[in-house]
Amino acid sequence: MMPPSIAGVVAGAAMSAVLMAAAVNVPAHAAGQNTVTVKSTRDPVDKSYRKMIRGMERFERERAFAPHATLRFQLLPRLPNVDMTGITLRVAGDTVSVPVPVDENNFFVLPRNAQALQQDAAVLASRKTASMTWRARIETPGLPAGTRRLGDLRLECRVGKEAGLVSNSSPLFGWISDALDSPEGVCTSPDGNYLFFAERPIFAVTLRAGERAETLPFSMLYAGGEQTPDMLPFCDCQVLLDRTYYVPLWDASWPDDTLVEFTYMVDAPARVAP
Amino acid sequence: MNARLFLCAALLAGCATQNAAPPGAQVALGRLQQTVVAGQTTKAQLLAAFGPTKNVRFDSGFEAWVYQSPGGAGQFSEFVVLLDPSGVVSKTRTRAPSPP
Repeated sequence: MMPPSIAGVVAGAAMSAVLMAAAVNVPAHAAGQNTVTVKSTRDPVDKSYRKMIRGMERFERERAFAPHATLRFQLLPRLPNVDMTGITLRVAGDTVSVPVPVDENNFFVLPRNAQALQQDAAVLASRKTASMTWRARIETPGLPAGTRRLGDLRLECRVGKEAGLVSNSSPLFGWISDALDSPEGVCTSPDGNYLFFAERPIFAVTLRAGERAETLPFSMLYAGGEQTPDMLPFCDCQVLLDRTYYVPLWDASWPDDTLVEFTYMVDAPARVAP
Repeated sequence: MNARLFLCAALLAGCATQNAAPPGAQVALGRLQQTVVAGQTTKAQLLAAFGPTKNVRFDSGFEAWVYQSPGGAGQFSEFVVLLDPSGVVSKTRTRAPSPP
């Protein structure tokens, strides 16, 4: 009997084959002919400009989760040896090309461009396919160091899913992403499994709201602790596993102002007085 | 359509099977807290004292090991150990009892 993880991959591949077959358009008038039209799929690391703009529009619509926050996007490493310095980014359509400044931490703000929207442009980075993953970053200013705000993360999930940012690469993940993972399904369900990445490797994550505090279980760190070596390359957490965590986005008993506090594997060096 | 539904069910069943893995070896909390000392206890000593348990190894060489301690009323405390790349415990933490 195969291990469950291998069985999952095989089932995913079989599912993918079925869906790929279903995605092939065979016009009625072409029945009996050998020509078919296959809907193209985007390179996983190149994102749809229209979808990212839809994510930005969702951010504006649902600001109640994070009334004082700002939205940026972030590029993150997806493969072990990718060089994350000096990345360039542009919005590219049929006739339009708009450079997008990327800061030293690989954050960027996506500009609005009507021509790019009309041309269904792609957002292209200067790195190889599947070498990076992307996330929305929504931050309320003034939070204590080493913390995030739960409402910011709730909105990050919705914007990230709306914008199509997650770069899992196997047929299994791709199929789920395309067919099952609506922002509502992922961001409001205990089984949603939207991965967040901390700034540094984490040892513990604690929720704190007033007098109430609760440390998250081990199963909510490190992509659930279930990633086997054979599955890890398919997850966009491949090289960020020690920074990965889930939070209970779905649990309304934790208000949006809940602080998400990180204990890191290695403590920050103490500041030396000048 | 039926074939698609069947494959979907099989796929979800596979995921459920994987998630049902035991969360870690069961060891009394007092024994863990007395035995495991940050900066001193080694991976070999953990294995000798408690046997293998659920763990995650990272590219950095760090490892996180988790033990479950019965806390009464069907609840368990989590005791998590961080091993540094040299195989020595660098941190520990205990999570209050909760249902499995």
